Amino acid sequence: MGEVIRKSVKPLQVNPHKLSQPMGATLAFLGVDCCMPLMHGGQGCASFTKVYFTRHFSEPIALQTTAVTDVTAILDGGDYSIVESIKNIHSKVSPKLIGLHTTGLPETKGDDIRGVARQIDCPLVYVNTPDYEGGLESGWALTAKALIDQLVEPRSEINAGKVVLVPHVSMQPIEVEKLKDLIASFGFTVVAVPDLSTSLDGHLGEKQASLSSGGVQVAELKQLADAAYVVTVGHSVKGVAAILQKKNPAIRHQHFNHVSGLVGTDALVGWLLEVSGRDLPGAVVERWRKRLQDAMLDSHFALGQTRFLVVGEPDHLVALSASLSEAGGTVALAVATVDSPVLNEIVAEKIIVGDLEDAEKMSDTYELIIGNCHTEALAHRYGKKTVMRGFPNWEQVGNPLKNDILYEGGAYFLFEIANIASQMHEEQQQRIAAQMKQSA
Amino acid sequence: MSAKPKIKDLLDESACEHNKTKKATCNTPTPGATTGGCAIDGAQIALFPFADAAHLVHGPMTCLGGSWETRLTGTSWTGRDLTQMGFTTDININDVVFSGEERLAEAIAYIVSNYSPQAVFVYSTCVTALIGDDLDLVCKQASAQHGIPCVPVHAPGFVGGKNLGSRLAGEAVLRHLVGTLEPEETTPFDINLIGDHNVTGDMWQYKPLLDELGIRVLSTLSGDGRISQIRTAHRARLNVIVCAKALVSLTRKMHEQYGIPWISCSFYGKRDTSNGIMAIAEALGDAALIERTRQLIAREEARLEERLVPYRQVFAGKKAVLNTGGNKAWSIASALQDLGIEVVATSVRKSTEDDKVKAREYLGEKGVLMTTPATQQAKIIDETGADLLLAGGRSLYTAIKKRIAFTDVNQEKKKSYGAYNGLLTLAEDLKNSLQNPVFALVGRKAPWEK
Repeated sequence: MGEVIRKSVKPLQVNPHKLSQPMGATLAFLGVDCCMPLMHGGQGCASFTKVYFTRHFSEPIALQTTAVTDVTAILDGGDYSIVESIKNIHSKVSPKLIGLHTTGLPETKGDDIRGVARQIDCPLVYVNTPDYEGGLESGWALTAKALIDQLVEPRSEINAGKVVLVPHVSMQPIEVEKLKDLIASFGFTVVAVPDLSTSLDGHLGEKQASLSSGGVQVAELKQLADAAYVVTVGHSVKGVAAILQKKNPAIRHQHFNHVSGLVGTDALVGWLLEVSGRDLPGAVVERWRKRLQDAMLDSHFALGQTRFLVVGEPDHLVALSASLSEAGGTVALAVATVDSPVLNEIVAEKIIVGDLEDAEKMSDTYELIIGNCHTEALAHRYGKKTVMRGFPNWEQVGNPLKNDILYEGGAYFLFEIANIASQMHEEQQQRIAAQMKQSA
Repeated sequence: MSAKPKIKDLLDESACEHNKTKKATCNTPTPGATTGGCAIDGAQIALFPFADAAHLVHGPMTCLGGSWETRLTGTSWTGRDLTQMGFTTDININDVVFSGEERLAEAIAYIVSNYSPQAVFVYSTCVTALIGDDLDLVCKQASAQHGIPCVPVHAPGFVGGKNLGSRLAGEAVLRHLVGTLEPEETTPFDINLIGDHNVTGDMWQYKPLLDELGIRVLSTLSGDGRISQIRTAHRARLNVIVCAKALVSLTRKMHEQYGIPWISCSFYGKRDTSNGIMAIAEALGDAALIERTRQLIAREEARLEERLVPYRQVFAGKKAVLNTGGNKAWSIASALQDLGIEVVATSVRKSTEDDKVKAREYLGEKGVLMTTPATQQAKIIDETGADLLLAGGRSLYTAIKKRIAFTDVNQEKKKSYGAYNGLLTLAEDLKNSLQNPVFALVGRKAPWEK
């Protein structure tokens, strides 16, 4: 593994790709069926977040705000803003859950949301997510913990065929679906927490939803503690398992930092074979594994000649760099949004916690960029190519259906990258030829 | 005395016509029933098109993380386009406890030495306003140290909505920039364009016409703007507010301080564009200019009419429901009417009192001014047999359900519909929308459905 630089020497972020904890919490609550995420703070935080996810998923996003004003910021401990919000939400819609999460403002003034939540007589989960701490991953993970801690009923018995899956925040809806399907193909019943695979997967619903539609149901959440296994994917959500195990110490925990590429997917399938007691996975799984191996060979030439910049959340970077490096790609630089112990696992020459300005300063070390749509300007400036991944991607449609994981997604991912890399190398050749003609 | 603008004064704008009867224009948000951006959002919208200035958000990550690079604001500035960049102090828990002023001062110094902007706008946010970071002091010291204007923008989100934020941005510009530099030369036809942000290049649709007439745009706030020009804005002969009324406080105060008169106009659609250009010429009061303008309008309108002929047939008898915000409630309605489309309803939910009066004017007695469009629009489509819904993305389902054409006038807009040429673009897009089979197809029943 390469050199890891964790501490920025800058007093600011220039062209940040980092996102806030409250945004991560919103997204997690959107993975619960008929939920109304309620962001406690100034109205702008919710407005920015709503527009942001609307544009990324091309879907209506359910989200409300407690709309704290300068007056309530000083006088109210949250009691008025929150209670009034819940009253107003219920006057229009009937959510099965309110997902109350904080921002910087109420955390600075010290609102006691736990105390307020106790006064409220409707299903509600609260979580503290100040946006001057952590980031998207931690907001998502804290919310997953809160959902389990506050809703799951303790159990002592175990249902041997039940698996709870906790995905990290950067997995797109289709990836969660594919992962659920794979685990289910070994005979398990799978409940994902949170579950974006049915709520933000880009399907055309019956009507314009004012609440989240799809996702894990509140009733299912309550009944999670009889699962035989809790599977966490992504370092950021590793700690969620312990919260579930408190509800039933008999639950066993299996963790994967990622399930991308051949080795990463093999690890998951190997574990599934072991715990299901089967000798073979389904025929489709076998077939896709062979296709991935073939894809690695087909794409290795283009990938092996290419130096990459990847930017994103730490868990996403681990997954992407594993896929690329398995087919010979060199990740010259990985820029993470926030610090994480998992940065040590990223296969890259250099790993930094930083912003897109840091990436820009090292633009001579890489050729092809994999990152969110903010990297497009960077690419234009330096004549590089981009492959859009991560949040946000406002420039393209189809984000919920981008699948990079397991054998199948891994194969398509390598093809996509290799094709763009080849095109890029060809254009580089043409540029050189044009220059030679000019000077001749 | 504090250098911060008084929010109360800004809410009570004497130049608003409705103010004789009603005091506050900006509604207090309702907890749990609020949509729309906050003051810092509005302030950024107002100032962001200054591509030669750095825009530094002093606060935690949400404020900038979810908002930079969201707007397509064209610039002709040849230096690095700073509107394509995001700067934030991204304060942490330490700053919340021990103050973020030192970090802020260092951040400004970093930006100045690395990007050499013509000015730095420093936006306060809820958290840094609450912990009491002294933006005025830090900016004053930074201005002295770096020799460029560092402008504190006191528009933390919790003080109100976007409209108020735009006003607060105007206050900051008036207090710290306007009148700080003399223009190299002045002409009798110098104007300031206020409130057009050149989104999708709207301003570039009509500015060439002003150039042709010899009307010089001395400065803009802030479409395709330059800091050096807005500093000279006090020497203009006329302030022209384009569409939005949010910056009316600024123009009123410029009238009081510098004696600059102001007019308000829109450049959407044929009628409004012609009226707008003529209003500017008349306000400048030069007979020869007015005559030139009359000729130019006649020429442009004739050219436009000729090119609109093929569309007229497509739009004949077509009815539209319009659900959008603010001034667009009437400005786009006017453009649609110019194309021969009947506008049967428009939403005035987010409009100011002035906007509502204008909307009634354009739609006539029969037109519906929707106050709760979400529940009203489906019913109105049924009642009127409307063929087209123009709205934000959230209303897409209404169109699918009613199997009528849909045009997104909020998020998806990447082309300019401004002025004469923009009207042609709008016509083409609407024609494509009306003829697109997708709305009927996605509403089609599956083979297994009865």
